[in-house]
Amino acid sequence: MSAKKASPGTGPATKELTVTNTKGIHARPAAMFVKAANRFACDVFVEKDGEKVNGKSIMGLMMLAAGPGSKLTVHCEGADAQAALLEIEAILKRKFDED
Amino acid sequence: MQHDTVTVERFYTENTGDLELRLTAGAAGLKRIIPEPTVNRPGLVLTGFTKYFAHKRVQAIGNAEAFYLKSLPPGERAKRYDLFFSHRLPCVVFSRNLKPDKFFLKAAEENDTPIFQCPFITMKFINLATLALEMMFAPRGTEMGSMVDILGVGVLIRGESGIGKSECVLALIERGYSLVADDITKVTLMDGRRVVGTSAGLTRDHMEIRGIGIINVAAMFGVKSIRKEKSLDLVVTLKLWENVTDVDRVGMEQEYVKILGVEVPHITIPVRPGRDLARLIEVAAFQTKLKLSGYNAAKELNDRLLAKMAAESKL
Repeated sequence: MSAKKASPGTGPATKELTVTNTKGIHARPAAMFVKAANRFACDVFVEKDGEKVNGKSIMGLMMLAAGPGSKLTVHCEGADAQAALLEIEAILKRKFDED
Repeated sequence: MQHDTVTVERFYTENTGDLELRLTAGAAGLKRIIPEPTVNRPGLVLTGFTKYFAHKRVQAIGNAEAFYLKSLPPGERAKRYDLFFSHRLPCVVFSRNLKPDKFFLKAAEENDTPIFQCPFITMKFINLATLALEMMFAPRGTEMGSMVDILGVGVLIRGESGIGKSECVLALIERGYSLVADDITKVTLMDGRRVVGTSAGLTRDHMEIRGIGIINVAAMFGVKSIRKEKSLDLVVTLKLWENVTDVDRVGMEQEYVKILGVEVPHITIPVRPGRDLARLIEVAAFQTKLKLSGYNAAKELNDRLLAKMAAESKL
């Protein structure tokens, strides 16, 4: 089930997001991502090229080596899944406040 | 940030072992305050040139002064002594065990100025006295928290009462590290840039453990478990998990706290039942040791990651 529309609700939510900051997801953006994900109760998973990691784990996110332009599938599952996805999408769109 | 008032008496009694001073006259002036933490050789003052006389310092008389004075006729000498003592001096020290003459002693008694003899050559006395004064004048403070020496890394552990500081310290001692101070750490600023922690003299080597009472750490765990003083390298604040809003997850940026005006590396460790705090503090100390030697694991890993992403984006 995918929630392409950005409206907070219940149920799982999945969306493909693109990394747009010039350096990609290095330590600082990874920490920012994880901090945001940890504010929500739902599970957050991030998938890149068939590799799936926990979105609340810095080591996991760094392992993906998601450089600029790479596509991540973010999957949230739990009561506040929609809100979590919205927040994460906003952070990626903001280029992690870099650039 | 303040230092204690340094009287001639303190300078004399607290350094008898190092400076080997012997009081020869002017005991009535022992309560005099030493305003400046250094030593002056009066030299020119004894010739009559008193402008810029650094009279607020400990005065050291060496061979040059002593033999110059000896070369003067007694009447002239007495006049120079009066001029010298017309300034309020903290005290006068004769190095090389040189003997002050009777006019000098008389003038000193009249002016309540303590006179000492010291066996060392002047240069050695000046060096030792400057170090001793520097130490006595060093800014001091008190920090709430226990201090432990973890393999050469001085760690101050802070946190609210009841959060588990003492248990933590106890666990670190059991792992073989040494206690510097329990609950209250006295800090001194050395050379204006290094913070050194120690325990209040009275409670040294003792700890209070809730439910057990006061224990003597040295008696219980042996002499290796205690350390008198240690420079401070890391401050760890223990905080309840729910009160921690923003904790560093990567450790690339170093946070600091100011102690006696010096920036000391600082980390916050969130506390939750079941976390082995002693183990975490031990690792934090090792991490500090690595960082002090120039190695930052987070930075190295991040550099590797950045290089990998840069290489892939060029494909």
